Amino acid sequence: MIASGDHKAALEQAKDLHKVSGTLASEALLVDAYAERIRALLRRNLTIEAQSLLDMVRQRYPASRVRLAELTPRVEAKPLSLDDLVRPLNDPDLAAEQRTAIDRRLRQEVWDLKALAHCDALALDHELRKAAAALERALVAVTSGPVTDDALALPEVSRRSPLAPWKLLARAIASFYRRDDDACRRYLEAIDSESAPTRLVPAIKAMLADDAHAPLTPAAAALGARITSASTLRRALEALDEAFASASKNRILKAIRPAVDQCQQVSPEQLDSLRQHVSVRCALAVIDSQRVVGPLGGPSRHDATFLRLFARGLEETRNPDQVVLACRLWEDFRHAAVREGWFADNGPEAAALALHMADLLNQLPNDLLRDLQWSARAGTNEGGDKLTYLFQEELYRRACVLDPHPESFSQWMEWAARQPGNGAERVATAWHKIRPRDLDPILRLMNAAEARGALPTALGYLGKAERIDSLHLQVRGARLRLLAGNALRHLQQKKPALATEDLAQLSTLPDAQQGDRPAFLAALRLVSSAARGESERVAALRADVEQLLGSGPAAALLVSAVAAAAKQRAIARLGSVEDESERRSLPSAVARVAALAADMSLKLEIPASWMVEVAKQFPECRQTLDAAHLRRLGELAVWAGMDDLAYAISTAGLERGETTAARFLLLRANATIKSWERHIVCAKAAAVLGREQQDTALVDEAAALVRGFFEFEHVSLTLEQARDVLNQEKAAREPSTKGRPGPTYAALLANTCQCVSCRQARGEADEPFDDLDVDDDEDVDDDDDSGFGIPPGMPPELVEMFAAEIEKAVRRGESPEEFMARLSTLPPRRRRRKRRR
Amino acid sequence: MDPFQVLGIAQDATDEQIRAAYLLRVREHPPDRAPEQFETIRDAYEAVRDPRRRLRHRLFAIDHGAPLASLFAPEAHPRRFVGPDPWLDVLKGK
Repeated sequence: MIASGDHKAALEQAKDLHKVSGTLASEALLVDAYAERIRALLRRNLTIEAQSLLDMVRQRYPASRVRLAELTPRVEAKPLSLDDLVRPLNDPDLAAEQRTAIDRRLRQEVWDLKALAHCDALALDHELRKAAAALERALVAVTSGPVTDDALALPEVSRRSPLAPWKLLARAIASFYRRDDDACRRYLEAIDSESAPTRLVPAIKAMLADDAHAPLTPAAAALGARITSASTLRRALEALDEAFASASKNRILKAIRPAVDQCQQVSPEQLDSLRQHVSVRCALAVIDSQRVVGPLGGPSRHDATFLRLFARGLEETRNPDQVVLACRLWEDFRHAAVREGWFADNGPEAAALALHMADLLNQLPNDLLRDLQWSARAGTNEGGDKLTYLFQEELYRRACVLDPHPESFSQWMEWAARQPGNGAERVATAWHKIRPRDLDPILRLMNAAEARGALPTALGYLGKAERIDSLHLQVRGARLRLLAGNALRHLQQKKPALATEDLAQLSTLPDAQQGDRPAFLAALRLVSSAARGESERVAALRADVEQLLGSGPAAALLVSAVAAAAKQRAIARLGSVEDESERRSLPSAVARVAALAADMSLKLEIPASWMVEVAKQFPECRQTLDAAHLRRLGELAVWAGMDDLAYAISTAGLERGETTAARFLLLRANATIKSWERHIVCAKAAAVLGREQQDTALVDEAAALVRGFFEFEHVSLTLEQARDVLNQEKAAREPSTKGRPGPTYAALLANTCQCVSCRQARGEADEPFDDLDVDDDEDVDDDDDSGFGIPPGMPPELVEMFAAEIEKAVRRGESPEEFMARLSTLPPRRRRRKRRR
Repeated sequence: MDPFQVLGIAQDATDEQIRAAYLLRVREHPPDRAPEQFETIRDAYEAVRDPRRRLRHRLFAIDHGAPLASLFAPEAHPRRFVGPDPWLDVLKGK
């Protein structure tokens, strides 16, 4: 059949024979039939089909390679275009073998998916073209950025498609970039080892560091270099980091250029950002910007990113001057960010920035900020810009207008509460108006009204607070206090009937039955009955009070305090304590009433003779008083100016254990006010210990005690130092005398590290005398060591009076600074006449 | 540590997405088995769960003092997207 030219029939016969016999001879016969068929195709110029068939036979019958050797040059000599390769696929009657052969060649040779996707030899909607187009898109996507799993689903490419290995390649690359190296390896393993995509497998494996030393083609090596070679950049950046750490300007300048060059080569899209970072760091390292421009290869872009970076860097220095500059830069950042479309000028971001700037200003020393604000106001008056970023009030207002959130108002109110005047009340009013359901402003307004004696107003706010949260601790305690205050007010106004109503309400409160409060109610009833002239009831109630307190002097003191508060002078008088046993128990009686008075916000005035007796009896009964009573007694001693008694009480208190030690250390600070060094150190140590115990009230009291000692504002103690101070004070059981000087803390105050970083950390100028202008030196008065800032030119005879007034102010809890401000700024108050109805 | 990275969420993730990512991470690292990771995850969640905190984080959480090497070459072997051409060069058999 072969000889007669019927090679098609011959091939069919040979296939059947080989299927049946399966011998070497039948295979040789079959290969010969195939060879004749290939020759026939070549004769008809069907090179592609001939080539496909040749490939198929060589693959299926490897032993045939020798027999077919003669045909190979004839078939492969003719180059095959992509169009020629795929054109036969348009034939619906294409033999399966030929289709398989073409598919194989597509799988093995086609690398240009774009060309296949646009191959005109195939119909536009041919599945091969659609698959190639989808794969090309996927490859561009996975090599250009992160992709989702959806982008890799590729439903256009079936598992049987000759392009199926490309699908695996796309997924391998995606996994590589996702750093899912195991998945990447699985996809690489699944790629047909004879397909075109397999050429990328060694390159990817090298990048996975699986086979880092495998020989790579130049293209594969270049690919790896472009994708992973940032090590040179890393080294250059590390060298620059080290240069910055060394603070050597020359070293920094030398290290900038290599880093910039490497970044330009390896990661050019990050060059701008690198320039900005380097510029900011050079500015912080005080390197002249002109010297930096050259190594940087140009100036850095001063956009919002740069301003934010610079502002953050400056504020971290904690240097006051630089913090001021940081505020300015945050303001510039706000403008730039709005211009660049980061956020709107009237949005929450602008509000957050305003709060941040206000917070930074709060870190500045008061005198510096005052000077800056004064200069800013002067500049504005002369037509300059209004430097809002220097005024906390303006910034808080801006924040609350843009973002009326409780957090913003709360920060504003906290700040206002620290300022002189009634700013906090003003803020609370604004807050309450905008957010009537917020409890904080209501409580603030209630307390302010109570403080100025406007009790009906305070009760009104209390009603609102109770409707919002009746279980709140401050709300629960307030009704008892306010009703008691109202009853006293009605008694003052000689309205006993109204006071009786208040008392009836008070009696119904569960809080009124706790502790010694029933004694207070009885005393209030007593004073009310006295106002109505019910003498028999007065006597009975006096007995009640005495029984409830278990002490005659305590009952007398309480009734006296309540009567004095109600302006019932007739029953407010206190006699002397005659009975010996009552005298011995006087300290505990006074302490108990002092605690009750503090609980009910009642002013307590102890006759001097009583306090003298308390001081006399205290050593005998110091062990019988609990810590709370000791504390109240100590406060009374401080108010009475009895430093020795306060000292003795602090000694007894310091023996009571760690939980109350900070409180009694603060009392010790109050008791040693004449020894200012010890006074300051004890107060600072109490603040540190109080902070550790999260006792904010104690911390505030300690801070108030040392406020105004400007030269020691920077002194801060570590917890260890505070504990050491506590131990020294515990050991100093007696007040210091000339022969027994007591603990000295000069080292803690004087040995403050003066190195640049410590000074910066404390918010001081880099050098100790940088804060002083040359001209100021002439004004320094060596003799003025009072620390109270006595006004220059004050007549000597007034200096002593002035110092005494300051000391009294300090005892009242006012700082010398506040005292001075009050003295110099308060306008004369005009009494407003109440309008009569 | 960037809380968005810790939780594996985008900077513009919604409250629900943040909560879901947090719960997922906590399931992966429960406090009894991985207390340190749990601590990190919880801190990250605390830093971004509230929109105001997220906003402050976006505005102010810039590590200006971090080593430049960590800012501009974040990993020892970074994998940079270089587009399809270098990949095709390998396929062409250059």
